[in-house]
Amino acid sequence: MKKQSAWLLASLAALIMVGCAGQKEPAEKALASAQSALATIHDAAQKYAPDQLQAVETQLAGVKDSLAKGDYKGVLAAAPALTTAISGLKDTADAKQKDAEAAAAQAKDAWGPLSTDVPNMVTAIQSRVDILSKSHHLPAGVTKDGLASAKSGLDSMKAAWTDASSAATSGDFTTAVGKAQAVKAQAADIMKSLGMSSG
Amino acid sequence: MADDKTPPAANNPYTQTYVVVSGDTLSKIAQKYYGDPALYTKIFQANRDVLSDPNKISPGQKLRIP
Repeated sequence: MKKQSAWLLASLAALIMVGCAGQKEPAEKALASAQSALATIHDAAQKYAPDQLQAVETQLAGVKDSLAKGDYKGVLAAAPALTTAISGLKDTADAKQKDAEAAAAQAKDAWGPLSTDVPNMVTAIQSRVDILSKSHHLPAGVTKDGLASAKSGLDSMKAAWTDASSAATSGDFTTAVGKAQAVKAQAADIMKSLGMSSG
Repeated sequence: MADDKTPPAANNPYTQTYVVVSGDTLSKIAQKYYGDPALYTKIFQANRDVLSDPNKISPGQKLRIP
């Protein structure tokens, strides 16, 4: 009886080992497939969904660890969730990339009018400041402080405009438009303080 | 982008404009915008395309105020 039990146990163990060995190849394939899928979207994910990428990489590391320990069943059990996570990451990265490209195109369109408006505003302000600086009495509504502020504002606007132009030249229209809009708002305020807003 | 010697571009939409009314002179307009009538020459120079004489302006004329 004892001999029979030992034989049964040995047979069962052998069957389990064969079973596990049978799961090794599918487990390795599942992991390789996941790694390959992640590799194809890695750069976009890194740029547009870094937090989600990190979570997926942690998940992948767990599956790799299972494989290294010979837990093929665990690998196969975790593979569908990992595949779903990678697919979700791809969807997120694709959507965010699309949004970013749309925003960049919108910024490029906005840059056109700003690139002429802002220099024109600064030129008009510079001209008025130059003339008012020669005036013996400032006109009604314009104060000495206002004129001094306009002079210093011109310097900062020119510096900011240089930055905006550099960003546009390098293709970063989002930054360029942000800076240009700030300069335009500042210019509008200065024009108002110099009485240039009305006819 | 501009300096003391640079007149405002004639097509600069941000250059202020003024429509002459009866009784105006360039000096009066300079007083209004610059606080100094002696600076009328700045307005005259900016409007040389429509003014040939600083003493001759007409009601309805649209002048650039640099």
